Amino acid sequence: MTTKGRRVSRREQHRIGGTGASVTVRNTLIAYAFMLPFLILLVLYHTWPVIFGSYLAFTKYNIISPPQWVGLANFRELFADEQFWSGLRNSLKYVLVVPVIQVISILVALLVNRPLRGIGFFRTAYYVPVVTSFAVVGLIWSWLYKQGGAVNSVLMGLGLMRGDHSLLDNPATALFAVMFVTLWKGIGYYMVLYLAGLQGISRELEEAATIDGATRSQVFWNITLPGLRPTILVCSLLSTISAIKVFEELYVMTPNGYPAGSTYSALMYSFSKAFGGDFNFGLAAAASMVVAVVSILFGLINFSLTKGGRSDA
Amino acid sequence: MPDTTLPQTALVSDPHARLAAQLKEQRLRRERLRNGAAYAVLILIALIMLYPFYWTLVTSLEPTGNIYEAKILPTALSMRNYLEVFSGTTVPFWRLILNSVIICVLGVTFTTVLATLAAYPLARMRFPGRDLIFYSILILMVLPNESGLIVNYITTIKLGLLQQTNPLADAARQYLAVVLPGAASIVGLFLLRQAYLGIPQELIEAARIDGAPELTIWRRIMLPLATPTIAAFAILEFVAYWNSFLWARVMLPDKNMLPLSAGLLELSGTFSTNSRAVMAGAVITIIPILIVFLMGQKYFMKGLEGAVKG
Repeated sequence: MTTKGRRVSRREQHRIGGTGASVTVRNTLIAYAFMLPFLILLVLYHTWPVIFGSYLAFTKYNIISPPQWVGLANFRELFADEQFWSGLRNSLKYVLVVPVIQVISILVALLVNRPLRGIGFFRTAYYVPVVTSFAVVGLIWSWLYKQGGAVNSVLMGLGLMRGDHSLLDNPATALFAVMFVTLWKGIGYYMVLYLAGLQGISRELEEAATIDGATRSQVFWNITLPGLRPTILVCSLLSTISAIKVFEELYVMTPNGYPAGSTYSALMYSFSKAFGGDFNFGLAAAASMVVAVVSILFGLINFSLTKGGRSDA
Repeated sequence: MPDTTLPQTALVSDPHARLAAQLKEQRLRRERLRNGAAYAVLILIALIMLYPFYWTLVTSLEPTGNIYEAKILPTALSMRNYLEVFSGTTVPFWRLILNSVIICVLGVTFTTVLATLAAYPLARMRFPGRDLIFYSILILMVLPNESGLIVNYITTIKLGLLQQTNPLADAARQYLAVVLPGAASIVGLFLLRQAYLGIPQELIEAARIDGAPELTIWRRIMLPLATPTIAAFAILEFVAYWNSFLWARVMLPDKNMLPLSAGLLELSGTFSTNSRAVMAGAVITIIPILIVFLMGQKYFMKGLEGAVKG
């Protein structure tokens, strides 16, 4: 998918270069005039945070007085802080949601890829949580999780829960309860991407295999799944990185790591150091940097697990 | 299995035709069974996905009763909670709606105009530094930007967007402060560049030979032909701006300036005595996004796929 796209666009670029408007000072100025407003905001709000944020991680800074270089002091403070470690552990625990959400999304995509009557309704229905804000979704689920609430009655009805207590109030279950909401909200998003991936797999190949006597599961494991590999890479990459950076759903449903710090995430730590009252932007930037490095590492793991997203089919 | 539903013609003496008809019948029956099972699973998932919304709607319409319990129908209907949300709180709900609308209009306008402009030279013009700019933007997309919230907060303050002078200018600056950090959308740039690359070069050449200025080519050729992508992107951005809450909550000191999503959290925090009114607020927050999503769904899904395929 990606390599093919790049090849086409390069050739395309070449073609433009060959026949397009010639390079003159005037044309160059016009080109930059088109891009100028975009580039200014891009540098200000995308490039500058990367640069200045990396610098801030090595300084003491509270906005009022200028940043003061302190070397690795922030990182030493960070790694000595049990609260940060617990946040990082929770962020890593959150990655557990990734395989679950990917497997379910693939299954749901296979299901809604069937030419059934009314399938459009189901695709739309599954997508509604995706377009709803975490602020709203988080509120709704914190009501559903209340004592005597809908989730508890379902769980008790199924015999999965004995005492009626809120899952969000219990340190052993709070993080998993929020994870379920992430799962619920994310399935529709990945389903659409997998649906696009499925439509990219050649029908003829699957049909040829079926005619040659392959069973349904053989077709799935040997043709469909390898064909989905580029999509799996993109989706697992996206969901791993957002799992490590988990913040908004926790912020709404379990403020300040409630209960007992059991839902404190690494980015929540960074957030509270900056905006929780002490304006320790240096420490917050250092924590963000650690999160960034961890998500890069996990991105690389994703690449190797999906063999770089190359499809064999 | 001998079956009365077999067509009469298949019952003639030819055993092969009979067998074929039986096999076909068997396959059809299995197919029906499989479809039935598929529908059962589809409906179950749909219930899990939609019930939370339905529950919120039902509960927001009830005047009294056991608030958090699971329910299928409301015990009684009343608009009291909806009136309450507008009048019974310290958070001015009309103002929140107005803020959200202004932020969305500004945000969607900025992002689409900036991206449609900037993507044009990158797709269709030759100039020094083009590949450099393109690949730098690619790298920015991959680089994790966790410091965004922290540094953008500092930038916003340094730009003086939170200064206090007179109410009207303050409001304008605060809206800008909410909108600007997202206004240069890298995803949008990619989508638009891809759309422009699909437009025949001959059209552009012909216009250039006729002496049309680049701005005219952009407006008269590129924009109309890229309309589906622009629509997809605009809907994506509308959803993003309507739903954003964290940035606004972090940055805006004045609670009257909050957009709906952010204000809803404020409401649930300061107004915990009446959760039903907060539920009514949640319903009001969801409705516009649902309308826009359902209307532009076809474009929306396309845009989403394009955004990932790059």
